[in-house]
Amino acid sequence: MDWDILVALLAAAVQSGTPILYATLGEMLSEKGGVLNLGVEGMMSVAALAAFLTAHLTGSAWLGLAAGGAAGACLALLHAVVCIGFLGNQVVSGLALTILGLGLTHFFGTPFIGLAAPGFSKFSLPLLGSLPVLGDILFRQDALVYLSYLLPAGFWFFLQRTRPGLAVRAVGEMPAAVAAAGLHPLRLRFFTAVAGGGLVGLGGAYLSLAYTHLWTNGLSAGRGWIAVALVIFAFWKPGRAVIGAYLFGGVMAFQLRLQATGTNLPSSLLLMLPYALTVLVLVFSAWRGRAAGAPAALGVNIEPEG
Amino acid sequence: MDQLPARPEHLALPDAEPVVALRGLTKRFGKVLANDSITLEIRPGRIKALLGENGAGKSTLMGMLAGRLAPDAGRIEVDGRKTRFASAREAIAAGIGMVYQHFMLVDAMSVAENVLLGQEPGFLLSPRDMERRVAELAVRYRLEIDPAARVGDLSMGEKQLVEILKLLARDSRVLIFDEPTAVLTPAETFRLFEALWSMTSQGKAVVFISHKLEEVLAVADEIAVLRAGKVEAELRPEEIGSKADLARIMIGKDVLLEVDRTAAEVREQVLEIRNLTGLGLADINLTLQRGEILAVVGVAGNGQKPLVEAVCGLTRPPRDTIFILGKPWREYYADPDWKHTLSYIPEDRLGLATMRNKNLVDNMLLTTRKGFRKGPLLRTGQAEAKTRALVKRFDIKPGRVRVLAWQLSGGNLQKAVLARELFREPRLIVAEQPTQGLDVAATEEVWRRLLDARDMAGILLVTGDLNEALQLADRVAVMYRGRVVAQFPVTDQEQVDRIGLYMAGVTES
Amino acid sequence: MPALRVIKRDEPWKGGALVIVLGALAFSLGAGILMLAAQGKSPLQGAVVLWQGTFGNVFALEDALRKSVPIFLCSLGVAVAFRMQVWNIGAEGQFALGAIGATWAALSFPGLPAFLLLPLMFLAALVAGGLWALVPAWLRLRLKVNEIITTLMLNYIAILLLDFLVFGVWKDPTSFGFPMTPEFPRAALLGPIGGTRLHWGFAVCLAAGAGFWAFFRFTLLGYELKAGGEGARVARYAGLPYGFLVGFVMTVSGALAGLAGCVETSAVLGRLQPSLMAGYGYTAIVVAWLARLEPLPIALASFLLAVLRVGVENLQLEMQIPAAYGSIMEGLILLSVLAGQFFLTYRLGRREG
Repeated sequence: MDWDILVALLAAAVQSGTPILYATLGEMLSEKGGVLNLGVEGMMSVAALAAFLTAHLTGSAWLGLAAGGAAGACLALLHAVVCIGFLGNQVVSGLALTILGLGLTHFFGTPFIGLAAPGFSKFSLPLLGSLPVLGDILFRQDALVYLSYLLPAGFWFFLQRTRPGLAVRAVGEMPAAVAAAGLHPLRLRFFTAVAGGGLVGLGGAYLSLAYTHLWTNGLSAGRGWIAVALVIFAFWKPGRAVIGAYLFGGVMAFQLRLQATGTNLPSSLLLMLPYALTVLVLVFSAWRGRAAGAPAALGVNIEPEG
Repeated sequence: MDQLPARPEHLALPDAEPVVALRGLTKRFGKVLANDSITLEIRPGRIKALLGENGAGKSTLMGMLAGRLAPDAGRIEVDGRKTRFASAREAIAAGIGMVYQHFMLVDAMSVAENVLLGQEPGFLLSPRDMERRVAELAVRYRLEIDPAARVGDLSMGEKQLVEILKLLARDSRVLIFDEPTAVLTPAETFRLFEALWSMTSQGKAVVFISHKLEEVLAVADEIAVLRAGKVEAELRPEEIGSKADLARIMIGKDVLLEVDRTAAEVREQVLEIRNLTGLGLADINLTLQRGEILAVVGVAGNGQKPLVEAVCGLTRPPRDTIFILGKPWREYYADPDWKHTLSYIPEDRLGLATMRNKNLVDNMLLTTRKGFRKGPLLRTGQAEAKTRALVKRFDIKPGRVRVLAWQLSGGNLQKAVLARELFREPRLIVAEQPTQGLDVAATEEVWRRLLDARDMAGILLVTGDLNEALQLADRVAVMYRGRVVAQFPVTDQEQVDRIGLYMAGVTES
Repeated sequence: MPALRVIKRDEPWKGGALVIVLGALAFSLGAGILMLAAQGKSPLQGAVVLWQGTFGNVFALEDALRKSVPIFLCSLGVAVAFRMQVWNIGAEGQFALGAIGATWAALSFPGLPAFLLLPLMFLAALVAGGLWALVPAWLRLRLKVNEIITTLMLNYIAILLLDFLVFGVWKDPTSFGFPMTPEFPRAALLGPIGGTRLHWGFAVCLAAGAGFWAFFRFTLLGYELKAGGEGARVARYAGLPYGFLVGFVMTVSGALAGLAGCVETSAVLGRLQPSLMAGYGYTAIVVAWLARLEPLPIALASFLLAVLRVGVENLQLEMQIPAAYGSIMEGLILLSVLAGQFFLTYRLGRREG
């Protein structure tokens, strides 16, 4: 294979993997606090639309980004109210959120199909962009990709080296200990779930503002579910999430290129790749570590005291 | 058990104003009046023991003091001012901390992280700094613990020290201990008492909840006896003539939980464990015959759980180590009968022995379903009738069969489980902490039924209550670190006297 | 601090389930109608059109009855699995596989008479749907892989598989490029019952519903499945064959969804085409949860949500509202039911002064 093509593919992998990375880290944050949110697919979708509409109407991509984050956070808030406030089953609530989110996206987005909005374009970082190979792959991307490079380390630092991060980790493992320590487990879970939702929203915003600049239906294409699976694959550690996100980014980029260059493989089979890969990734993770590292209180609601 | 330390020349601080006063506290759970207008004062520098049998209302009272429960009536005064705690957080902020029976620790985090949770020195954390602070605190109160250790790897005694450190790190003025010695060896108990004396000499107030008379007499400056939700008496240890006096106040009777045990006829072997090593156990050799009760005692966490789980089929032991009713484990569990076989009465009544959200009929069928089958069908009518009959015979309240398991009290739930398992006419019964959390009446009833069950079964009784073991058993086995370190008949008084030592791992050299 | 606090009930709130569902429906309908304003449409007009498209119109109700068939069958399947806390989200995909299986039978044996061909199609659908569900079940039992994501991924794959077949090997050469299989032979079609407008799929539903109820009420296996829902530990305690139960439950769950796919393809479409996939599998989950996994409430809820779908179609027709509006309603309904179910176990009371 031509070297240039490989480099171009890797660069596309990074770009394609970035929304997945945001979404994975967002879901990971929520889960670290003990809240399982299966609504990621719906959240990414709604966030993409919110970001697009805002950018389209205001002319500012950054405002669109903020809107996307806010949309994700709002949906996560809804999930949090149902599960944390009303002790709703977290699995079913997340599913309901996905149904709702996808419905909202189609409903409000259909009039805008085919329209364009200002987005984020790629630019080369000074010095770093001139590096051979690495420069082409990593440092000729858009602003949100550069931002995402800082995310995993920031995630780790927040959880391991700050006071609120310690509380978040504790509430995901044993909320009773957090209450006994004089903190507010419910409040912590709310903040964590909503903040995680905001990150997921940023990932969704990326889809409509950077990955493409047009609005179409079905933009999320299952990435939300892939993000949920990747949290397990990553054993709830941010570093491994990066590997997973770029892996899937690569597969999706590869899939696009194959379709574009025309192959004998029917498109339906090609499109199956990411979903089949998700299953394989889960099998691999389970075979290796049996979902080790899951926060002990994940998915378990906190009952009110008498 | 009789090896408790003599109280040293421990000088309680002279009478000071109470740090905390409870006035007329009342709490109801549904129809049950758990606390009835309770008034108590807690002073600094003193250890106040709260004595009472299970169900007397001790944990409920302290739950209110610690902010976990809201009183239905009455008030709490801190430093003379009326306060109301809306949550544990507010109680902790007021200086009241509780060490619970079930530890509230995050296994995945370090000791230092657990201790300083909610008390962190700053926004940014440094593990080294946190460990240093915790180490300093431990030294000040003479507690031995490694601040960097992962809590999940610690022993029960060490975990309790972490809980104590949590309270000390908060400058708690009142420390409440809920049955702290249940998980400690006698040596660890002594260390705990020393820690308590150290804390009170530095001005802390300690409340010590217990139902064990000897410990209360050994450690307390003041004793408040609770019975049926009321304060029955408040005394100082000097005022008490004997344990019997105290017991009488506690339960209103002279009797100290004793049973009349006649020997039963011992028949064929029902359980044999041969050189069992693995699953956290080492070299276990035990036999059990029909008609006898073998009590397995020891501090919790020394291998009792793995042993029970292996015998009862929850985990798989190595080949040819466990033989149930003459059959090797594998063969027995391939297709066990429902009747005349092994019955397991687990410690976890609501989570394992019964299904919490199902009614009594469904719960009865859980282990007896094969007895009501007709081909692929289930005789539900018959099952319901049988359940009604059992509820009546065992006097399980409330008298309906359509109640859900979680609605039953601890005593009634245990009776229901017993009723079901005895209906199976087992040949081998494994009973795990069968009277934990039950009041005296329920305990006596359970004991009586277990003794009666010797007619049809051999009973393996796993318990942390030495009194229970000595009352019921024919033979005793003591476990320490996964081994059986001693096995002897209960009539061998010399060995019985050494049980405390065995529990701590001290065997004859 | 508010004067209210949360108190656990001594016993579950009797009759509360119905109150909650009705309340949730009212709330979601209200919120949904108001949302129309955000698109510049009149909520009042929306309400009227919705009524006209549902209870105000006999044809609409008949259409809803037809639509409730696949929803009901899929929902029974979902309920079977959920009763054991096995989260089968794959009804949509299993539905597709059932349709594929039935199509295979119909296209491969066109000469067979109906009394042979129809049972063959049913069998093929049951097997296809069951196997599609068995894969995630096996992965869960053997490797402890979370079944939520695997069943979901298989949904996507199943739909793509259907596309592949319908655009490819099974494409009708006379269809001018539209993706669909040739029409099924007459023997493969489930016709109407007598002179009514209902098709034989209803009989299938009745049989399935009755079977479901009887199975859980009277059989030993049904009891064991209920008990198995408490988890693997209790299962081991009680000597339940947990692994077998999970596999069984998933297979039955998938088979029921597959059956729905067969019935829908055979009775309504008469051929396999992508428009078969209308999201019944996901609606089925909403229905199952609303109905608390009981067959009679499932029947009622299936009908209700089918009515909603038909109403939304009318909105599409009269006011150009995208079909996705139905999803919004379903999502809102499920969320509000989840929140409302809180009050089955808890109530609000006054804090003591």
